[in-house]
Amino acid sequence: MSEVATVVTGWGITFIVIATYSIWVVSRGKIIGQELGIGEMEQLDARKDAGATTDL
Amino acid sequence: MTSAIHGNAKMTATATTRVLGVLAIAATALMTVLGLLVSPADVIQGEAVRMLYIHVPSIWIAYGAFVLTSVSSVLFLRRRKRREDQGRHYDRLAGSAAEVGVVFTGITLVTGMLWGKVTWGTYWQWDARLTTTVLLFVTYLGYLALRRLPAEPIIRSRRAAVMALISFINVPIVHYSVDWWRTLHQKASLSVGRRPEITGEMYWTLLYSALTVTIVAAWLIIHRYRVIRLEELRDEEALAALISSRLKKDDGSN
Repeated sequence: MSEVATVVTGWGITFIVIATYSIWVVSRGKIIGQELGIGEMEQLDARKDAGATTDL
Repeated sequence: MTSAIHGNAKMTATATTRVLGVLAIAATALMTVLGLLVSPADVIQGEAVRMLYIHVPSIWIAYGAFVLTSVSSVLFLRRRKRREDQGRHYDRLAGSAAEVGVVFTGITLVTGMLWGKVTWGTYWQWDARLTTTVLLFVTYLGYLALRRLPAEPIIRSRRAAVMALISFINVPIVHYSVDWWRTLHQKASLSVGRRPEITGEMYWTLLYSALTVTIVAAWLIIHRYRVIRLEELRDEEALAALISSRLKKDDGSN
């Protein structure tokens, strides 16, 4: 494999892995949220958002 | 019970994480331009040097994630009796960081193999750095498997915390393996107290790539943490429903 092909393959695999993992994490959260009846995953006010940083 | 559970629920997306997500995408786009187009080819390695900008930050982030796992595990073990939530917050943080660390260790291994084929002429060599890195990957996979074993949540978390601390022993061994043993792998590109092996545009692109990967990893850890919380809520709700149905059944039979 040439240098350029190696670089493209390496970067490509990295992007695919991170994108796939990100989609899996977000969609798993949505699915479980729906199972629990939480619905739209939104926190509206800044106070709740600040709370989210202490409890991630 | 159900409303109380839902009242404590943290969502996986908030305004903050959305901003962080957009920032991660924008930073990644710029990192791609810098890494693939702007930074120069190396005199010796040629274009293959561009693997540096994903390979090296990936293992740095994996180290950072495993440090976070270990610190969180220590805090869980120390504070589980004092905190209202029995330290579950630290346990979730440990689990989410470890999973992201495993993903980036996997990326390090794959990109390293590809890079090795071009520079060394082989995908794999059982030298100290490569062997200890694959051991790190497998050990933390074991940690993640342990977290999924059926057990009382607190007992499972305690076992996982101990496993996390044992697994962490390998992190400094991986990092210093190139100094402690004669290996095919080159020494660290950047190291505290040592003159950088690279300079100029390559140096700054590498630092920028590390920053970008940090943002991406932070976004992933926050979301994964929240998903773990939701999984716990689901399990608690399922258990509450099971207990409720048993009680009703017992009442019916009496």
